[in-house]
Amino acid sequence: MERYTNNEITKIEKDNKSSLILTTPFLIWITFFFLIPYLIVIFYSVLTPGVYDIKFIFSLESWKAAFSSSYLDSITHSLVMSLLTTIITILIGFPVAYVIANSSKRKQNLFIVLIIIPFWTNFIIRIFSWKIFLSAQGLLNNALIYFGLIDEPLMLLRTNGAVLLVMVYVYLPYMILPIYSVLEKFNYSLLEASMDLGANEIRSFFKITLPLSMEGIFAGSILVFIPALGTYIIPQLVGHQSSAFIGQLITFKVKSIPRNWPLASALSFILLLLVAVILFTGYNYYKQGLRRK
Amino acid sequence: MTYQSNIKRFFDGFNIVIFTLILLFLYIPILILIIYSFNDSKIISGWSGFTFKYYKILWENENLKNAFLNSLLVASISTIISTTIGLITALGLENRYFKAKKFIQGIIFLPLVMPDILMGISIAMLFSFLRFPMGRMTVIIAHITFCVSYTIIVIQSRLKGFDHTLQEAAMDLGANKTKFFWKVKFPIILPGILAAALLAFTLSLDDFIITFFSTGRGFNTLPIYVESAIRRGSVTTINALSTIMILLTLFITIISKPIRKMII
Repeated sequence: MERYTNNEITKIEKDNKSSLILTTPFLIWITFFFLIPYLIVIFYSVLTPGVYDIKFIFSLESWKAAFSSSYLDSITHSLVMSLLTTIITILIGFPVAYVIANSSKRKQNLFIVLIIIPFWTNFIIRIFSWKIFLSAQGLLNNALIYFGLIDEPLMLLRTNGAVLLVMVYVYLPYMILPIYSVLEKFNYSLLEASMDLGANEIRSFFKITLPLSMEGIFAGSILVFIPALGTYIIPQLVGHQSSAFIGQLITFKVKSIPRNWPLASALSFILLLLVAVILFTGYNYYKQGLRRK
Repeated sequence: MTYQSNIKRFFDGFNIVIFTLILLFLYIPILILIIYSFNDSKIISGWSGFTFKYYKILWENENLKNAFLNSLLVASISTIISTTIGLITALGLENRYFKAKKFIQGIIFLPLVMPDILMGISIAMLFSFLRFPMGRMTVIIAHITFCVSYTIIVIQSRLKGFDHTLQEAAMDLGANKTKFFWKVKFPIILPGILAAALLAFTLSLDDFIITFFSTGRGFNTLPIYVESAIRRGSVTTINALSTIMILLTLFITIISKPIRKMII
């Protein structure tokens, strides 16, 4: 690395001006289409709703409404469901990642491809396929009736259970892949050492394998929890109207007439704050973990 | 393996059972969809014989064809632009003495962790604020915005392995900076650029929610069309459409492997 010091190339490398020029298009793009839009969200949240659009009159009504019990319930519901999704994907994803990481190199590649292929199928279609499978006349109900386990079709669709199932289905690869990438580099001689020192398998698992794979579990949890928190289409297609996610309520406020953009903005801002808090706490926790290592 | 024991064997067996069940879990819904797309029945219960009629209905559906072409158009344009921006940004960030590097790296990270719905809402509000009519243009802008961070990161990871002594060597041999870039550096990082483009293309094709917020009346991409068809209840043709899309994905996966090998 240091071998270019005092070299002519170092001067070129150090040329901050060209770096600035090269990164400017990105910075302009992201400022205009990513950062400024969030300022507009904040600005819109203190305005007055019109039927189709927005009236530029200051009002705090949308913030009052956002903190009413129905919206807080929806936020709690989203948080609980996302947390459950994260926990279930950890419990299922870990053994899967473990099996893949412990296979021969050729099998590893095959297994990873097998996990990823369904993931490349269009997002909407993956959710839709569960809607078909779980519907009253769907295959699952027909099979259960055929085997005499039930008489009447079960109400599987439009339940929280269905939402949870599909969320786990959709977000599972995001958990498996980071855990796999950590376990793949795992040094198994550590386990042998711990057993030589008299620890049994269970103790070794909790003292060595699990702590060392925390980094992957952590990354996977962020990748699952945050999109799950903002999900709209999954509860919309397989969930029940009475337990709406915050993403659904925001969408209704923007997409259905009469529109209420200020309320949608206030709710979006609350969701944004939640995401920021989660990322910040997670990041601090992660840094602490690194220090302890 | 000195540490093999009954508990260990039990855990391994348990893990393999879970692994097999998960593979079933991942594939069963998709397989059902494919099988039902050939089912000659109006409702989705039971099997009433083999048919290709839904494929024929699909073929004659002009709205669907338009949505498909729109998807390809949006994905192509946003891939080209986001990969170009991604490439030059990644090149700019290669300089480790660049003062703003850490700051920009942080900004790149933001769109990756933002829930889609927030990105969709905020960009919809921007265009509403600017009174800019929503449609093809706004969808393309939104797609570039969510693709660009991914392209930067993929290209950066390829640049990380780049051997900088090559630059010294090329310059000693009389190449100038431009010639060095096009003759040496670009061919070496090309696989990374193509991987970034492929990722951007698939992300764009797959996106529903950001498109949902950034499109206006009359401009549908394929996922938008599929969602509205599900809402209208025309379920059987969706099965056929899904099957085509799944086979298309498989096809791309299979052909991309030899192409990747050819490049690398």
